[in-house]
Amino acid sequence: MSHEYVPEIAVDREGKEHEVQGWQDDIYGGKLGFWLFMFTEVMMFGSMFLVLTYYFTLHHQDFLNASAGLNRTLGGTNTVVLLFSALTMGLGLLKMRAGDVKGAKLMIWATIFLALVFLGIKAVEWNAEIHHGIFLTLPALQAGNPDSLPFGQILFFGMYFTMTGLHGFHIIIGIGIMIWLLKRINAGKVRPDHHILHFNIALYWDLVHLIWVFVFPYFYMIGAGDIGGVAHGH
Amino acid sequence: MGTNTTVDYKKEYAGYWKVLIGLLILTAITLVQPGMFLTDYTFATQMLIGTIKAWMILMYYMHLKGEKLIIWFTWFSIFLVAYFFLLVGIDVANFQFGDVSHITSPAQ
Repeated sequence: MSHEYVPEIAVDREGKEHEVQGWQDDIYGGKLGFWLFMFTEVMMFGSMFLVLTYYFTLHHQDFLNASAGLNRTLGGTNTVVLLFSALTMGLGLLKMRAGDVKGAKLMIWATIFLALVFLGIKAVEWNAEIHHGIFLTLPALQAGNPDSLPFGQILFFGMYFTMTGLHGFHIIIGIGIMIWLLKRINAGKVRPDHHILHFNIALYWDLVHLIWVFVFPYFYMIGAGDIGGVAHGH
Repeated sequence: MGTNTTVDYKKEYAGYWKVLIGLLILTAITLVQPGMFLTDYTFATQMLIGTIKAWMILMYYMHLKGEKLIIWFTWFSIFLVAYFFLLVGIDVANFQFGDVSHITSPAQ
């Protein structure tokens, strides 16, 4: 089946018609499309939070106990790291829009650095948990053996590794697209007068931050038992 | 921001820092709240603080302030998630399958 070529027509302020040659500078269209993608992310993480809430309601005390064992200091540090990375990303976009391309690139590198710090801290955390015998594949999180944690705690840690893992995956993707953005800037494809890609990647990074704003309290602060405790009580 | 790409650098720069300070203060409150106030309502308080932070990020860092269409889309997406929470909330409040469900106890 063939399609006849139908030219797109845009109308300027004087009412004159022009045949559209490309949509590259359609900032609003690009932004709107990216927001639609982000709503699918909200649905995905939203449904995960829904499952988490469901389990939390059914296994209240187990969830409180499991949450108290997480490393709140490292989790809190990561919250602040991500907060500053949102600032560097935002300032980078601002510098790009203001014409300071060099400054914008520096800010993107700073964001990548902070993203790597976040992943490093997360790796330390996961390592400590694995060291304590807590990971998806280890006996403590498998039901029906002598080392099993209480059932609600198994569900808690299952959700913890799934959701922080998926969030961490988004951080890795974020680093990848920031490196791609730097390449596009170097190639002159992203410029102060044509910065929609930079704008959307900054939006993506804010979304990753936004998700963490709920992931952190839901897992690390949930009932705040054992306040300040960083020891794993397992 | 609309399609206009001109930027008042100093004003926006100051705005980013102001929002950062606000978010840092709220993060500090998140960390100290369980030992200081509303200690019986930690979960609800934490989620409330999270919602305020999310609102600041959406409005200022994600430039929703001044948007119209995208804000309505955002409300719709929040409404959908909230609707699912409500439905499941009603279900879980009347949970009837405690004895047979693998959600409440592991499979034997």
